[in-house]
Amino acid sequence: MDWRNWQIREEIIWQIRNHFRSKGFKEAETPLIRPTLIPESYLEVFTTKLMDRNRQEKEMYLITSPEASLKKLLSAGFGNCFEITKVFRNTETDSDTHQPEFTMLEWYRVGSNYLKIMSDCVELFNYLWRSLTEKKLVTAPADGTFKYAGKSINFKQPWLKISVSEALEKFADINFNDITHKDGKDSLTRFPAAKLAAVCVKKGYKVTADNSWEELFNQVYLNEIEPRLNLKVPVIIYDFPQPMAALAKLKKEDHRLAERFELYIGGLELADCYSELTDWREQQTRFEEETKLRKKAGKTDVVWDREFIEALKSGLPDCAGVALGIDRTAMLFADCTNIRDVLLFPFA
Amino acid sequence: MAKVSTSGFQKGMFILFRGEITQIVSFQHVNPGKGSAFVRTKLRNLKTGNAIEFTYKSGEQAEQIPVFVKELQYLYKEGSHFVFMDNQSYEQISLGDAIIGDFGRFMKEGEIYQVYMHNENGLGLRFPKKVKLKVTEADEAVKGNTVSGAKKMVVVETGAKVAVPLFIKTGEVISVDPETGEYVERVNE
Repeated sequence: MDWRNWQIREEIIWQIRNHFRSKGFKEAETPLIRPTLIPESYLEVFTTKLMDRNRQEKEMYLITSPEASLKKLLSAGFGNCFEITKVFRNTETDSDTHQPEFTMLEWYRVGSNYLKIMSDCVELFNYLWRSLTEKKLVTAPADGTFKYAGKSINFKQPWLKISVSEALEKFADINFNDITHKDGKDSLTRFPAAKLAAVCVKKGYKVTADNSWEELFNQVYLNEIEPRLNLKVPVIIYDFPQPMAALAKLKKEDHRLAERFELYIGGLELADCYSELTDWREQQTRFEEETKLRKKAGKTDVVWDREFIEALKSGLPDCAGVALGIDRTAMLFADCTNIRDVLLFPFA
Repeated sequence: MAKVSTSGFQKGMFILFRGEITQIVSFQHVNPGKGSAFVRTKLRNLKTGNAIEFTYKSGEQAEQIPVFVKELQYLYKEGSHFVFMDNQSYEQISLGDAIIGDFGRFMKEGEIYQVYMHNENGLGLRFPKKVKLKVTEADEAVKGNTVSGAKKMVVVETGAKVAVPLFIKTGEVISVDPETGEYVERVNE
């Protein structure tokens, strides 16, 4: 590892703390080992065993995100807050952008929605860029451009905001209405896999009967949309289909879409934000669906967090939250295309 | 044809992609923000030499092209084709520029190379880990130029140019990494 990369990473973490404290956010510290988790069908978990003094064992998990704990704090009136923490995702090896153990920043704003977090991101990245260039850790001309992976990116120009359905139309030539049913009663009827499968087959993808709508959609997204988001300005892609938004609030006017956005800079997927789902009944239904999907996918059976539902019942205030990968942010500013280059002890 | 799942993917493997024979150049696992696991691959179309990027669903199957390795002698280059011969049967096989790629500039006539075969067709070369090449033209290092890591360009016996450290002289043998075209070491013989 180049020591400069570590200096950049150190500075980023330091400045994130400065930034949020100056905005009046509280810093939280939540547990890494938990007896329950939020069931998320696409994540595999690390399990471990807690032993009491009599060596009686109890199964525990390493967290995949601090979201459950932070939302419990929000329900208890904690207010605007942030946390920088390690999170753990099993099976995520053999990749230049994933590590089974990585560092995440989450922040939450009470009485707010995902639009406000979009401007938070613009502010945070400009602040980090300024701090790093002032300290000469990143060399960049004053016009706001800097280089990542041989490409020039401009932070000061307006960021591109594009909705998922616009991107689908523009880059993949698919009309969102053609692959969904607006008036479907539940997610299965709103998102018929057969309808999307027909489109995918025409495009030359291999489709089998057990492919879900989400899998088919994400394959189109990864092949035809994501590569096009590597632009000269940061890109915010927003309003994702509901199957890709387990804890996000649905849009009032269209229940196929959730208030979620992702931030891409230089083609790197950096942050994922929701207007948070506050309806405990809806949340419970989604947990049950996710648990079924986990079982179907052969993933570790996890005890799901009922306390979290209780917290929602007691009243989670309207809020929005975002998870931002610290390692990938360091990759961006240190101009590295491999996550291992910004870690002191990476997994191979 | 045998099926191979994404978990069996290997660098250098030959698979059918939309009806065309391709070779896996590299692959890695990716998980989109909220979604299943996928495998992002870089493939090389053997007919055109073009690079293709394609993301497979994790567990998706592809058709694997069965291959075996044959040792063949490289005879000469004819237009855009490299002509090889089987020294037992005297059968000749040619491989196009698109398949050989940049490695062609390090190939020596008369040398034996390992060729991936599918039925009677040559699919590609199995690159050696290193190739040894004699330096035929090298300028003397400029005196006083002691900056560490400084390089100069030399010409090797096949006519290719390679960046080497300043101490390399004409007549010496160097080894080169065929995949990157970069100097590896000086070979003492």
